[in-house]
Amino acid sequence: MVRFENVGMRYGMGPEVLRDINMHLAPGSFHFLTGPTGAGKSSLLKLLALSHRPSRGLLTLFGQEVSSLQREDLPSYRRKIGVVFQEFRLLNHLSALDNVALPLRIMGLEEEQILTNVTELLNWVELGAQMQAKPPTLSGGEKQRVAIARAVINRPQLLIADEPTGSMDPEMGLRLMHLFQELNKLGTTVVIATHDIELIRRFPCPVMYLKQGTLHHTDADEYLKRHQRSGL
Amino acid sequence: MINIFGNSPELQLEKDASSKYLPIVIAAMVFLAALALMGLFSLHSAVQNWSTAVSGNLTVEIAYEEGQDLDKKMNKASQILRNFPGIEEVNPLSIDDAAKLLEPYLGRADIIKQLPLPRLIEVTISEGSSVDLLAAAKKLSTEVPGAILNTHRPWLDKMIVLARSVQFLAGAIMLLVSIVTVIIIVFAARTGMVMHHAIIEVLHLIGARDSYIAQQFQNYFARLCLIGAFPGLICAIFTMEFLSFLAGRLEAGLISAPSMIVEGWIALAMVPILVALLTTITVRWIVMGSLKRMM
Repeated sequence: MVRFENVGMRYGMGPEVLRDINMHLAPGSFHFLTGPTGAGKSSLLKLLALSHRPSRGLLTLFGQEVSSLQREDLPSYRRKIGVVFQEFRLLNHLSALDNVALPLRIMGLEEEQILTNVTELLNWVELGAQMQAKPPTLSGGEKQRVAIARAVINRPQLLIADEPTGSMDPEMGLRLMHLFQELNKLGTTVVIATHDIELIRRFPCPVMYLKQGTLHHTDADEYLKRHQRSGL
Repeated sequence: MINIFGNSPELQLEKDASSKYLPIVIAAMVFLAALALMGLFSLHSAVQNWSTAVSGNLTVEIAYEEGQDLDKKMNKASQILRNFPGIEEVNPLSIDDAAKLLEPYLGRADIIKQLPLPRLIEVTISEGSSVDLLAAAKKLSTEVPGAILNTHRPWLDKMIVLARSVQFLAGAIMLLVSIVTVIIIVFAARTGMVMHHAIIEVLHLIGARDSYIAQQFQNYFARLCLIGAFPGLICAIFTMEFLSFLAGRLEAGLISAPSMIVEGWIALAMVPILVALLTTITVRWIVMGSLKRMM
């Protein structure tokens, strides 16, 4: 599904923000990505979201080496990836319904089918009453739910979420984590970037943590022990 | 979802202040281009008219000579011309007719008649026939001393050179207007790209193709240009009609009211379509180029 081999990344002529990243995400796996602020989480997510290309190394997504991808091939690969941005990046002039419908409209689906799917999903994330509301009128948690709905509406093969439960109450956070788990059971590979130790404790999954631009792999228990030790 | 008169749903280009005044600029550009185009076609038809009028008519001038019987010379020259193949009509102008022609320029006809005026013979060539003008001129000058065959050709040639120069200038103005329009559209499209960079990035990340994004820009700018092009064109037609009216009032022989041939009106009707097409191509080229620089 996703394979990084000695991947490095830099912005322009700046220093490397990611160094010698090696990882393999099997189809249908569930991972947490964590690390201190500035460690390179966002940069790694950008590589996964096909927003940037690596400056060195091999990055393979869905069996295709990214550096050899033609520009015109990128949209079809991006449609297999759902991204929940930390800052939501919703289109403020569109309603919640239109924001969520966007990936389907871009794919050229029938409007009737789009409406059915989007309504169902928005009801599920308890935004059925606010389908016509525009993002500036929604709370942080509601915006985040719209962003998540937009990311999962077309059943992506890879779901990347940057702090997806950061702006919502714990109950809704758990509901959404269960949604991610359901998608995962259907075969979606999920990568969740988070600082939330409680989330890692509740959903014990493999943890990848970034430290000064390098990636380390561990499991939830080991990570929590290490975190507790460093906390002490 | 997207059509030529539709909105740009995701980019909301309609709310951009930067391109708000584009229709006014386009209207001005289309006005200039349409005037140039109408001038070009009017001159073309004027040249055709002059050419037809002048090439079908000749004038024989018999120089005034003291003590000579000019009427006799006139009759002889008329006789020669009538016998010449391809000549349809020979009309010797009497001294009264010549004086009437000069009256607007020199004053009273009875005084003009006392001046040493040359005598004129108006000759009309049969339509579709070719007259050996060189042979006719030679025969006339040999048999009627002082007779000169005037074909008006040198004068017409100079007029045609002038008209062609003005036509070339009109063409150059149209080219210049097109270049300026393209530059304005390039700047407006680039500004739009910069202003909507964040949304474009989101659209890219959720799988939008470059053509999907470019189409929103194309439709929007094409619509703005059409909004500007039609008033510009209508203003140009009214201006030309007004000039036509003023020129018609002159009642001065060759300076007739500008008239357009059918091809001219078709070309004029094509102006808004061409502007929209030029805009669409320019915007697509700019937007696709800018998008290629993004991942």
